This record gives sequence, C-alpha cells and structure tokens, in this order.
Amino acid sequence: MVQKKMFSYHFVSIIMLFVAVMLMACGQKTEPEKPSEPVVIDTIPQMVMQIQQCSRLYTTEVKVHKIVTHDDVVRLKGNLMNKQFNIPLPLGDRKIAIPMDATLKAYIDFSEFDERSIERDGDKITILLPDPQVVLTSSKINQKEIKEYVGIVRAHFSDSEMSNYEQQGRLAIINSIPEMHIVETAQANAARVLVPMIVQMGYREEDITIAFRKNLTITDIIKRTMNR
Amino acid sequence: MMNKNFFDKIKYAKTILIAAGIVIAIIVLWWFIRGVRQTEIMLENDQHIDVTPQQIESIRAIGQWEFLAISNEELVDTTRKGLFTDDHLARIYYGTVRLGIDMQKMDSTWITTQGDSITLWLPRPAILDNDFIDEARTKSFHESGRWTARDRETLYRRAQQRMLHYSLTPQNIETACKNGDVQMRRLMLSMGYQHVNIQWK
Repeated sequence: MVQKKMFSYHFVSIIMLFVAVMLMACGQKTEPEKPSEPVVIDTIPQMVMQIQQCSRLYTTEVKVHKIVTHDDVVRLKGNLMNKQFNIPLPLGDRKIAIPMDATLKAYIDFSEFDERSIERDGDKITILLPDPQVVLTSSKINQKEIKEYVGIVRAHFSDSEMSNYEQQGRLAIINSIPEMHIVETAQANAARVLVPMIVQMGYREEDITIAFRKNLTITDIIKRTMNR
Repeated sequence: MMNKNFFDKIKYAKTILIAAGIVIAIIVLWWFIRGVRQTEIMLENDQHIDVTPQQIESIRAIGQWEFLAISNEELVDTTRKGLFTDDHLARIYYGTVRLGIDMQKMDSTWITTQGDSITLWLPRPAILDNDFIDEARTKSFHESGRWTARDRETLYRRAQQRMLHYSLTPQNIETACKNGDVQMRRLMLSMGYQHVNIQWK
C-alpha cells in the first residue's frame, strides 16, 4: 500500500520534472543578436578626381535604350500556426517606369603593344592585337519621361529608391553586353581604323593583316576589311 | 478489507488520470507555444526591378584614341526655402572625362614617312565625348521634400559643368599631350621606324 503511494508520488514528481524541463526548453532564449556594425557615411561634401594615363583605341560605339520598370506591391507574408500566407495589401500598389539611355564603347588596349605584336614577312605585315574590351562610358536618365503610379496609402518613390532601380538597370545593361556581340564588331572596326593608318606608312592594303589573340591561338578575324 | 482495496484502486486510478491530464495539457501547451513562437508576420515589398529587354538604338564605327581618363565623383546639392522648414536634395554623380584624339577628324596627310623616319601631325587632345556622366550610377545622398524631374536635370547639368571645369585644365591637356607623345612614339618604334617625330597642331 505504502509502496503504491510512493510509486504514485514518484510518478507525479517525474511528470512535474518533465513539465519543468519542457517549460524551460520553451522559455530558452536564443543568443541576443550582436548589434550590427554602424554604417559609416561620410557627410563631407567632396570632389574626388582620379587621373589615369592610358592608350586605348575606341573603335565601336553602341547606344542602348532601356526602360526600367518596378512593380512595388506590399504583401503581408508569414506563417500562422504553421500555415503560410502571402496576401497583397489593397491600395498598396506602386509602379514606376524609368527610361534610360546608355553608351557602350569597345576599345583595344595599346598599353601592352610592342614589337612582339608585329610580324613581318617580306612586304606583308601582321598586327596582333589583344581582344577588345567593352566599357559603359555614359548613361542618362530621361527624367522628364519617368512615369509613376502611387496607391493612395503609399508614399511617392524617394530619390534613394529611384537611384536603386537605376543602378539595377545599369547593371542589367552591363550583364547583357555578351549578347550584343559588340566584340566582333569592335574587331572589324579596329581594322577600319588601323588599316588606313598603316597604308599611309607605305604598306599595300592587301599586305596588311589585323589579327586578334584568343585562347592561345591566333584567330584572323579580319583581312583587308576596307573593301567590305 | 475488500472495501479498502477498492478505494485504494480508485485513488490510484484518479492519480493516473490526473497525471495523464497533466501530460495532455503540457503537450497542448507545448504545441501552442511552439506554434506561437514560429508565427511570423511581416510586410514585404520586393525592391528588385522587373526583367525588361534593352534595345540597341545604334552601332557606329568610331576611331577615338584616348590618352587620359579623368574619373570624377561630384556631390551636388540644392535647397528650397520653405515656410517652416527647408527642403534639401543632395546627389553624388560619377563621370569620366576622356581626353584624346578623334582619328575620324584627321585628314589623309597626318602621317608622312621618309625611309626609316616618320612624322605624325596630331591635333591637340580634346574631350572625346560630351556625355560622360554615368547618371544611372548616381547615389542619392540626402532628400527631404519632394523634387521634380526638372530639379534633378538641373543638378545633372551642374555636376557636368563642375566635372568639365575640374577636368579640362591646361595641365590635364598637357599631360594627355605628353602621354599621347609617349604612346604614339612607342607604337611607331614598334612598327620599325628609327626616327619618330610627333608634331601637335
């Protein structure tokens, strides 16, 4: 009889201990997040200038037009008792379209050019050039043509937000450079600039070859392109 | 004796029931607390732009030889006086002024050769492109109040003027000239000419 009572007391004690452990586990706090490093912004108005001496022959200019669009819908997202939800808020829509123009230029870098870049065989001359590189030289936002729609419970797009979208648009243009096949055009145009120059030095047009280095093999891209 | 055993059994059963009740309550409480703790509600708005195509408007052959690139970073601001508070807009513009020569503007007599000597008649280095600001790279530094497209256009023009003012100095043009001299001389020596004479018009 006493043994049974003792057993029931032990049983209840074990359950209480279990409860205590569970509650402690529930109440366990994760480590407090470390305070994030403060973002330092230099507030001193300044003009920075960097001067670089170079020798670049720009051979191709490409004008690109892009309309950057952004649909800014505020959504109520989360999960409630393990059920996920994602609801767009009514009247919280904002839209903006930013037209922009960018100028890309392809160039041949002559800073490494030396006598090893020239091969002569009798009257014939071959100029070996590095592959053209492309740079975004300018971009212009058509401020007057920016269109925006703002829902009645939303604020207008701030200058910071618009700059952010414009920077993303700029990056999208840069990322699309390989699809524009500018390098091939730049190689052809390099010959259009260099061949007349070499002709003036006394070489015959048909004796001039402009070649480009590519992946250890030399690929002749253009020969006597002046007649094309 | 039999009654006592019977009551003991009932008491034992009651204890078991209470314990089972406590366990069930704990499980329900734990499930509820876990559910509440995992509950997340947030307002979210995507800051990414939509995927739109870019259109090539023109491709043209050029022949611009760049000798000096001056990268500028210009902070330009404007203030509008208000009745109670003033509005401010400050933006940081980036641009690269490129100095060099435009080969397409040169006539057919800019190179003369005689034996192993060559003479180049080159124009003075000038700005290669008047559109040199990368406006899409502009950073918004500070904004209070509401500003129009015309205000931003005015800031752009001011940044452009200031960059030109700081970049197109006689000193920089002279540096471009000297570098052009070095580069063209090296190019002609590589081509096999022993005597290179460069004349700036």
